Parts: sequence; structure tokens; C-alpha cells
Amino acid sequence: MPMSEQTSLTRPPESEARAFLTAVLAIVWKDLHIEQHTRQTISVMVMFSVVTVVMFNFALEANLDAARNVATGLLWATILLAGTLGLNRSLAIERENQTVDALLMAPIHRNAIYIGKVISITLFTLALEAILVLLFIVFFDKPLWRPVVLLVLVLGTIGYVAAGVIVTSMTIQTRSREVLLPVLLLPLSLPLVLPAATAVAAYMFPQLPDWGEVQSAVYIVIIYDLLMLTAGFLTYHFVVES
Amino acid sequence: MLPSARLDKSVRIFNWAAAISIFIALLVIFFYAPVEKTMGNVQRIFYFHVGSAWVGAVAFFVALAAGVLYLRQNSRKWDTLALASVEIGLVFLTMATVAGSVWGKPAWNTWWLWSPRLTLITVAWLTYAAYFMLRGAIEDEERRGRFAAVYVIVAFVTIIMAYLSIRILRDIHPVVVGGTMETAQGASEGLQEFSGLDSAKMGITLMASTTAFSVLYVAWLLNRIRLQQLSDAVKDLKIQVTAHLQGEHA
Repeated sequence: MPMSEQTSLTRPPESEARAFLTAVLAIVWKDLHIEQHTRQTISVMVMFSVVTVVMFNFALEANLDAARNVATGLLWATILLAGTLGLNRSLAIERENQTVDALLMAPIHRNAIYIGKVISITLFTLALEAILVLLFIVFFDKPLWRPVVLLVLVLGTIGYVAAGVIVTSMTIQTRSREVLLPVLLLPLSLPLVLPAATAVAAYMFPQLPDWGEVQSAVYIVIIYDLLMLTAGFLTYHFVVES
Repeated sequence: MLPSARLDKSVRIFNWAAAISIFIALLVIFFYAPVEKTMGNVQRIFYFHVGSAWVGAVAFFVALAAGVLYLRQNSRKWDTLALASVEIGLVFLTMATVAGSVWGKPAWNTWWLWSPRLTLITVAWLTYAAYFMLRGAIEDEERRGRFAAVYVIVAFVTIIMAYLSIRILRDIHPVVVGGTMETAQGASEGLQEFSGLDSAKMGITLMASTTAFSVLYVAWLLNRIRLQQLSDAVKDLKIQVTAHLQGEHA
């Protein structure tokens, strides 16, 4: 990405939105590029998820009926737990390589870093979910391919990552680091997961439910997304300044 | 810096005011409020339950405001206020949950249900309990204040979500504040035993108990702020003494 464009001091004011967008895209592109080379984040998330699913099956004593009944809850629980790994990994890389300082020194808006990180980690999590959905269809024979289900998964992931980037940016700067993240993030994301899981569960029967039955749950998920993104937008620069 | 004389005086005044108003509220709840038709005397728990839940919500809102002010002004007093308010809010939330659980046994024939409202209150409780974990993990005072302020702002989303969800999703728990429609709907579906306040005396009793709990909140808040100031003063003294001793040895 041509960063020199943004350093120019004579930038006309109308191009500020564009500069913001360019910065966001540059960060997303950078993260995807790193992932393409290292393949660390997504592979760790996928491995962890598969182990979790197998472990839960073991806990349910290979009782397929019981496993099918809890499949949607299990799907969300797996996404949340694997999500903490992805968040930690993606934000810790910046700390380890001290690239976070370079990012902060760059003449870009702090919120561009926030949005860029939310987008790239959301993409990682969605890649994980694509694999998980396939696995769950095979293992539990659930119609997870339905469009509304996929929509709720995408919306839920955005809200979860929006909260996750803020919280992880704080926890990686503390003493307990990885230990602290789930304790802070999981309760914070439950008001989102509760309606999202309800909405997904409504679609797990052969006949489609009325939109009226699930719309309120979907709206709650959207409200959470907006609230979290707003909170993140307003507070992110307080979290990263040192 | 030791707590000011004005704070000391307010603490004394509010301690007495809280004791007296709680006593009055108890008298009103047990002797003035009428016996509820369907639930009988058990319904008197309602006044504790709603009073403490209300004050809990106010406490978290105060913490949110203090968090915003801390980020804007970077003054230690707002951090102390946020910390005190979250601590006390958690106590009130626990009181409301315990009172609700005791009431749930006769009303629903169970101590606990995983209905959306009860689940979300548990979630809010956990979110605010985690606030202390975050504080405990950061040594640098300035950074601790900053992160705690950000967290308290983000955590308030769970309170908003709890408020919204219980008004949107179907629940066995009645909605008291600003929710006559939902209450009536739930009652007509046979979900709820208790359908709201059916006499002016009950309304007055609820007001009395809410006021008493609010005064108690202010009293605890002042005590907690004073305690924090004393603790900070001790810390400063320790640093001074250590510096002094090191100076003597040198």
C-alpha cells in the first residue's frame, strides 16, 4: 500500500474519509498477508475447535441424539473459545514484533487500526466458521446452510470481535495476559450469543420458522453489534496509547 | 492526602440517614403495605427485590459516567468513584438476585430458572465481577485507571442488552419499570403469578423502599470513597517513609 500518500501534509480535507478507508484496507491486507505466510491463526483455531467438538462428543458419551440437541449451543461455545485464541494470536503478533509501535506512529487515525483489526479477525473467525459449519452438518446432520443461520453467524461474529479487539488490546498489556481474556470477554459477549443461539436453534427443524419468531433475536444481535462498535470507536485510542 | 473534613461530615450524616430510612422502609413494608391477593405475605419481598435491583442499575450508570469523566479529565477522583460504584452495585445486584430467588421458590416453585432475564442478570454480574480481575492485573496506576474506565464503559452494554432483551424476548419474569404492556401480555399467557401493583399503598411502599436503598447507596459510596482516600494516603506515607529511611542510610 502506498503509505506516502497519507504522509503528505497538503492533503485536501475531503480525502480524509478516503485516507481512513485506505488505512483500514492496508491493515486488513497486511493481516491477511501475514496469515497467508504463517497460517498460524486460522490453523490453531480450527485444530482447537475440532478437539473441542470431539471432546464434547465424548462427554455426551457418543449419544447422537443428545449431541444433536445441544449442537447449536456447542457451535457457539466452540466459536467463542476458538475466537479468544484468534484474538490473542492476531494482537500478540503485533506486540511480539513491536509492530504495534509502528502502527501507532503511522499518520493514520487510531480507529482505522481498530476497524482494520476487527475486519481481519472477523474474516479469520468466519473462515473457521465455514469449516465448523461443514463439520457440524456432517457430524450432527443439522441444516446449518440456511441463509438466515449464516447471516446470524456473520452478525454474531462481528459483535463478538468488536468487543474482543477492545478487551484483548487491554489484556495483552497486563500481567496475566491470555488468562484474563476469557474471564473478561466471555461474559461480555453472552448477551450477544444468547439471542444469536436462540435464532439459530429456531432454524434447526425441518420446517422453516416464521420470520416473526426470530426477528426480535436478530435485531438484538444487530443492536449489540452497533453498541459494541460505537463503544470501541470511542474508547480504542485510550487503550492503545502508552 | 487525607479525606476532607467535609467528606467525614457527610459520611456521618449519611450513615445515620441510611439507618433511619431503612428502618422506616421496614416499618412501611411490614405494617403499611397491604397483603397481596394471590401471593400473600411473600409478595413483601418485592419491595426489597425491586428496590435493590433499581439501585444496582443506578450504581452501574454512575460507574459509566465516572468512567467517561475519567477518560476526559484524567482525575483520580473519578477512578475512585467508578471503583466504589461498581463494588456497591455488585452488592445490590447480589441482594436483588438473592431476594428474587427467595421469592421465586413460592412463585415459580424453583429457586432458579435459566430464563433470558435471569441469565442476563447473571451475565451482568460476571461482567462487573471481572472488572476487579482487570484492575488486579495492572500495576501501573495511570494505566489501571484508564483501562478500568474503558472496561466500565464497554461493560455497560450488558446492562443495556439486559434491559432491551427482557422487553423484546418472552419471559416468565414480570417487567415492572416502564413495561405495563409486557406485564399484561405475560399475565394473559398464564406465565406470571404477580401482575403488578394493584393499590396506591403498594406504590407508596415501593417508593419508600427505593428511596431508603438509594440513601443507603449514597452512604456506602461515601464510606467507600473515604476508605479509598485513606488507603491512598497510607500508600503515600509508606513511600515517604521508605524514601526518608533510605536517605538516612545513604
